[in-house]
Amino acid sequence: MSRSVRYTSSPLLASRTPVWRSKFVVAAIALAFGGLAARAAYIQVYANDFFQRQGEVRFARTLELPANRGRILDRNGLILASSVVAPSIWAIPDDVDAEGEKPKLQKLAKLLDMPYTELAKKLAEDKTFVWVKRQVDADIAKEIAALDIKGIYQRKEYKRQYPEGEAAAHIVGFTNVEDNGQEGVELLYNQRLLGKPGMRHVIKDRLGRAVEDRGEIVPPVDGQDIQLSVDSKVQFFAYEKIKAAVLAQRAQAGSVVVLDAVTGEVLALANYPSYVPDKRHNLTGAQLRNRALTDTFEPGSVMKPFTVGMGLDSGRIKPGTVIDTAPGSWNITGVTIHDAHPHGALTVQQVIQVSSNVGTAKIAMQMPPSDMWETFSKAGFGQKPQIEFPGVVSGRLRPYAKWRPIEQATMSYGYGLSASLFQMVRSYTVFSHDGQVIPATLLKTSEPAVGVTVFSASTAAEIRKMLQMAAGPGGTGPKAQTQGYSVGGKSGTAYKQQGKGYGSDGNRKYRSWFVGMAPIDKPRLIVGVMLDEPTAGRYYGGDVAAPVFSETVQQTLRMMNVQPDIAVRPNIVASAVEESF
Amino acid sequence: MTRINLVLLLAVVASAIYLVNIQYESRRLFTELHKAQNEERRLESEFERLQVEKRAQATSARVDKLAREKLQMRLVQPSITTYVNYTHTDSTPSDRVATGAVGMASNVAGARP
Repeated sequence: MSRSVRYTSSPLLASRTPVWRSKFVVAAIALAFGGLAARAAYIQVYANDFFQRQGEVRFARTLELPANRGRILDRNGLILASSVVAPSIWAIPDDVDAEGEKPKLQKLAKLLDMPYTELAKKLAEDKTFVWVKRQVDADIAKEIAALDIKGIYQRKEYKRQYPEGEAAAHIVGFTNVEDNGQEGVELLYNQRLLGKPGMRHVIKDRLGRAVEDRGEIVPPVDGQDIQLSVDSKVQFFAYEKIKAAVLAQRAQAGSVVVLDAVTGEVLALANYPSYVPDKRHNLTGAQLRNRALTDTFEPGSVMKPFTVGMGLDSGRIKPGTVIDTAPGSWNITGVTIHDAHPHGALTVQQVIQVSSNVGTAKIAMQMPPSDMWETFSKAGFGQKPQIEFPGVVSGRLRPYAKWRPIEQATMSYGYGLSASLFQMVRSYTVFSHDGQVIPATLLKTSEPAVGVTVFSASTAAEIRKMLQMAAGPGGTGPKAQTQGYSVGGKSGTAYKQQGKGYGSDGNRKYRSWFVGMAPIDKPRLIVGVMLDEPTAGRYYGGDVAAPVFSETVQQTLRMMNVQPDIAVRPNIVASAVEESF
Repeated sequence: MTRINLVLLLAVVASAIYLVNIQYESRRLFTELHKAQNEERRLESEFERLQVEKRAQATSARVDKLAREKLQMRLVQPSITTYVNYTHTDSTPSDRVATGAVGMASNVAGARP
């Protein structure tokens, strides 16, 4: 029988282990836990910000929510300017395989409407980033995306489109590639048109998909739409007419302004030469200038109705008062003023009708300079322009204390002071609006304007009669006549200043004006036309500017559904029904 | 005691799995929403682009050109326009019957040539 040892009495167990060993193990485990706790505390409390940030850098993204720039609309809600998507094409030249993908790149060059060599040159400019072409049409961008060329990318951008093109260019203006207004209404109302981009914070997953919103979302605020008082049809028509006139008269430039005589709204304001706002290569200053607002000139005879109005208002003259203008010249303190043609004795009405400088000066010299200055100022001459527009000017009217008598005389017929066409047109509201000059506006309004009284209503009515005579047979502007609508207006032909003088005979340069209104009893429209340096032979305002006035008034009143106020010989021929055999 | 613990454990595990599932679902839906919003924006800008294009096809300049060149049209003049004066009058039905003919005649007379 073998000897066995009982398990419980195994000598191995009997040997006593030292107590420190178990204590050591416990301590080691405790230390490990302590280390973990310390680390956790470090991450969660002490260095929390750092880790939070690192996490966010890896997964959180801030997305900008772009806001749309507001549209510019005409008075009927038609779009004059709007932003559309126009992706920009960019490249990482290093990633583009110029040799292997040559056919594709050639196609790309063709789509972008640039020679292949130019594309190649662009790709050689930089290694990491280069704009290939900014703001291309959305359709073309789609085709480019379909080509799928490595290293060529697109970025979503917006581009302004101007459907009316050159006709409305000077009013609407344009924006730069960053969508900021540079000219015209785009610049004037830039702050209102601009939207406020929004923002949202999201967490993106490994594949770049947004999976969770963090924090609050700032929604984008789109820019406001601006509704102008301009009627795009009238605008187009006025532009076509002034363009045709400038070309026919071989003039330097021309402008036309159409004002609603009741509300003071600008229905059209056009200049030629103009430009196409979204194709602005090789723009010249002459094309850019909004002459109707920014160029001032001596108005010439167009000022005469103001002088006569003053005389009538002060009671010094009546419409029938006879003024002797013979022999067609008048000497004032050593300086002689002339009429274009000598006239003899004229009534005040006839002074306006035949546009006599001498007659007007004789009326003016009966009045104190201060009264004249005050009337001109009230009508807006030499005053801070009441309409806001980039580059708008105030013209010039010197303080009356410095006037010499000859200056007072020449000012009465429009020399020695300056105004823009727009100022001229607005000042004529005095005659259309019962003696009140009303504020003009580029924004649509429906309320009748409230004006400042310059003349009495009866004076204004008398002047309207004289303007009608001036635009009628025997006047200086019969070419202003229209079919069916009674018109009144004043032509003006001013010598252009050349250096210090007005040039010598045979070498003069002219500026031809016509400002008038229709229908004359209750004017709905005031139209001003200005042609700069007509050189095709004729240069009188009544010859070159009045026809533009006539056509513009005719079409605009028809478009406004104004019924003719004078009889028209009907020319309606009812087609007879053919007899059957 | 052990049974209760076991049940509770199962409940915890089930709820944890459910939570993970919900989280996944919510992220998936959020992505969908995000995609849809992008699509909305894209369509909106496409709409705007097409509107501008439509407008560009209907500008006065183009209409004028087509009317003149293609359709041989010319501008309306007052001499070939008949203006019809329409004066609105409140009248009872019986009145209208009685004065209908007269009203028409006077309208014709009042029309401008």
